[in-house]
Amino acid sequence: MKSRQARITHVPLARWLAIEFSGLGIFSLLWLVLHSPLAAYSAFVGGLIFIVPNAWFVHRVYRYQGARNAHLMVGNLFRAETTKIALTAIFFAAVFTLMEPVYVPALLFTFAVMVIAGGALRWLIRPQPRR
Amino acid sequence: MEMVFIAAAIIIGMGALATGIGFGILGGKLLEATARQPEMANQLQVKTFIMAGLLDAVPMIGVGIAMYLIFVVAG
Repeated sequence: MKSRQARITHVPLARWLAIEFSGLGIFSLLWLVLHSPLAAYSAFVGGLIFIVPNAWFVHRVYRYQGARNAHLMVGNLFRAETTKIALTAIFFAAVFTLMEPVYVPALLFTFAVMVIAGGALRWLIRPQPRR
Repeated sequence: MEMVFIAAAIIIGMGALATGIGFGILGGKLLEATARQPEMANQLQVKTFIMAGLLDAVPMIGVGIAMYLIFVVAG
């Protein structure tokens, strides 16, 4: 008879962050070469607006695991999502009011690309259960 | 000017509504499936997590555009 051991899911947050920051660096360099330093700077800020709340979301979602904690898992998922959207709104508001000048197309375009790439990254490099 | 604020409110409101419905269904299904097969809880959590990423992509972009409308176009 097999012994049943609890499996804990390992979240590759460091790997995701490394890939996201590398992609953001390459994207900002592209903006620098194709447009201007201001566009590159704005693109980098746009990427950061996605990366920081998303890292918070990942960190919070995996606080509870296992069937016994299912209700805590779902509650934490809702709370983490609310915080993520609120943080995104606050960061955008802060950038648009406090940073001058900003190249808005680069900022919004990079943010949108990072959001889509972040979803794809989670699907490609999934959290793995470990004994 | 007021139309810009109304547009931003509609974008944020609709995004919040859609995300709320989506996450409600997602969380409900996670609880239901975990109650049926408790041994699959971790795998189900991973799948929920991946779906959550896809679900919040469009409202997040909506929030960005709404903030642009409020603070740059109207401001």
